[in-house]
Amino acid sequence: MRVEILYPELCCLYGDKGNTLFLRHCLPDAEFITTTLNETPAFLGGDVDLCYIASMSEQSQELILQRLMPHKSTIVSMMREGKCLFLFTGSAMELLGQYIQREDGSRVEALGTYDIYSVRQAPDRFNTLVRADFRGTTLLGYTSRFAHTFGITEEIALAKTDIGCGGCTGSCWEGICHGNVVASYLLGPLLVLNPDFSRWLLERLGRSGEPLPFEDDLRRSYLQQLKEYQRSDLEMD
Amino acid sequence: MLRFHLAVLMAKCAQLALRLLGRKATHAPGVVALTLCPRFLEVAPKPALTVCVTGTNGKTTVSNLIADALIADGKTVVENREGANIAPGCAVNLLNALTLGGKCRVDAAVFEVDERASRLILPPLQPDYLVVTGLFRDSLKRNAHPDYIFSIIDTYCPDRTKLILNADELCSSLLKPDSQRTYFGIGRMDGDHEEPYQLVADHTLCPRCGTKLRYDYLHYHHIGHAACPQCDFRSFDADFLAETVDTAAGKLTVRHGDEEEVYPLISDVVFNIYNEMAVITLLRTLGVSASRVSELIGALKVPSSRLDSKQAGGVNVVMAMSKGQSCVSSCRTFDMVAHAPGKKSVVLMMDDYYDRKKSVEYIGWIYDVDYEVLNRESVVQVVAAGPRCLDHKVRLLLAGVEDDRITCCSDDAACASVIDTEKTDTVYLLYDTSTYDVACQVRKELITLLEKEGK
Repeated sequence: MRVEILYPELCCLYGDKGNTLFLRHCLPDAEFITTTLNETPAFLGGDVDLCYIASMSEQSQELILQRLMPHKSTIVSMMREGKCLFLFTGSAMELLGQYIQREDGSRVEALGTYDIYSVRQAPDRFNTLVRADFRGTTLLGYTSRFAHTFGITEEIALAKTDIGCGGCTGSCWEGICHGNVVASYLLGPLLVLNPDFSRWLLERLGRSGEPLPFEDDLRRSYLQQLKEYQRSDLEMD
Repeated sequence: MLRFHLAVLMAKCAQLALRLLGRKATHAPGVVALTLCPRFLEVAPKPALTVCVTGTNGKTTVSNLIADALIADGKTVVENREGANIAPGCAVNLLNALTLGGKCRVDAAVFEVDERASRLILPPLQPDYLVVTGLFRDSLKRNAHPDYIFSIIDTYCPDRTKLILNADELCSSLLKPDSQRTYFGIGRMDGDHEEPYQLVADHTLCPRCGTKLRYDYLHYHHIGHAACPQCDFRSFDADFLAETVDTAAGKLTVRHGDEEEVYPLISDVVFNIYNEMAVITLLRTLGVSASRVSELIGALKVPSSRLDSKQAGGVNVVMAMSKGQSCVSSCRTFDMVAHAPGKKSVVLMMDDYYDRKKSVEYIGWIYDVDYEVLNRESVVQVVAAGPRCLDHKVRLLLAGVEDDRITCCSDDAACASVIDTEKTDTVYLLYDTSTYDVACQVRKELITLLEKEGK
């Protein structure tokens, strides 16, 4: 199995390296490739099983889109069919839309994989805890961002939130799970914090039934958080 | 101007009233001043010298050192020493520089400025100098990421302001390229690295072409001297470069052009040497002679509040600040603890005190901290204490720390009894700013236990 970590120098803002660390523990026999900004992504060669891209600054989004846009049609078709699974977390999800609108109203064209778009609103920072239903399990996490993403529908959403919000305020639809794309606005060590989600992801990679590393401890930690999310006076930001 | 004079009068009254009530009055009088006169920072008369200090780490230390040095040089100075560093705090600082009639009565004002709030402070204040200690990732809720903080300072720092910048920090050193600036830096030191070795190393790509930078030397995180192998970009040369740091003799040899200047070394910790270099560079840029700066620096003291050590029953109990949600602060402390001599127990009590009351702390930041350095034989026990103890345990396990060396205690205030002092020479209590009182309580109980056991 080959796992590509895309642009780790730029895409590692909020503890996202926890996901890479965890994947290395989950897939000890996999080959991990890190691709820096000026290198051609390995997944374009067709021999990558999982490509992970994490949250990044707004400036980095634009640099990365400059590098990826020449491969736009290939990337979009690989996201629809083929063997590579794409995992996008945090603000990386905004790369998948038609465009990202800057604060001054100008737009940066994005990959256009889905009919969604993002609007930045700096300096207004949006922070919230998130709890969401993901295929009958509960996904927990946190989002902190300058943009909202509009147009995520039930058909392509990853999860349905009941605490916090989805792509934008007023929407319950969080993230994307469609074709070969799994994307979430949730930050940081999403996989470590959500053992059920991790198991599902590993199943998508053909690793079903195997226990997660330190699974008992992961679940104790998860259950503790789950309990705390149930408090009636929960402050979300 | 009527609004301004009214604001001075009312804010000074508020300040007096609050002080009579025993309060510090470092914020509220500023709110009064800015409410009555929203342009207070702009219209208030300024002293002959106005210096602002900002950056992720070290701004309190640097602004205090600058103010102390200027006072020792015979100047009358105001500064927001209590750390009230957003707009109202800066307004109070300026208020302190004024007479009741609204006239400036001091020679200099030194402002510690919160980097995110700098957009509201720098344009109206129009400082003569802005010292930037460096930009690192910090609290994600407030500060988002260093690129964002860079864009704020770069946009809002006035063009007339002269900059004092850290040449070894590849984010802030690129601020305001057309403004007058003076760089400081530290040359190669023993134990330096040649490539990033920690989990967090931002700004490691060439800002011009995106190629991975090569380091001549790297002190920590992304701090060092780098060059692009692809284009002609390289780190800026420091106008004041600490070429030799002689900790044994307590001397700092600084290269300035063709001259060599020698200063007393006021701390042997690298980030404090950067703080000292920022102060030396500002004073020298102001035209103070090297010999006079050396005298002034010799009289300065770096606050030692972050490390506090006590002996009890043969065990050293050390309290060390390790700011939660701020990975750079915690990385520096973890590194110091890991490399300290002897066997140690490390107690992690950095869980945010306020988040635990009604929320669930976002714990992702611990995956930016090098827990891996705790995976060594000399660390005989790690106590994960606080509501997020189970998350810390998972992080420790993923860092390779063996399960039997990890103890969890969800009530950090009650963790003294689970600390294993039998095999330990030193117990390190790592606390966040919000858990300082809890850490003090734990230390007190631990010392009582150690004395009772008579170890």
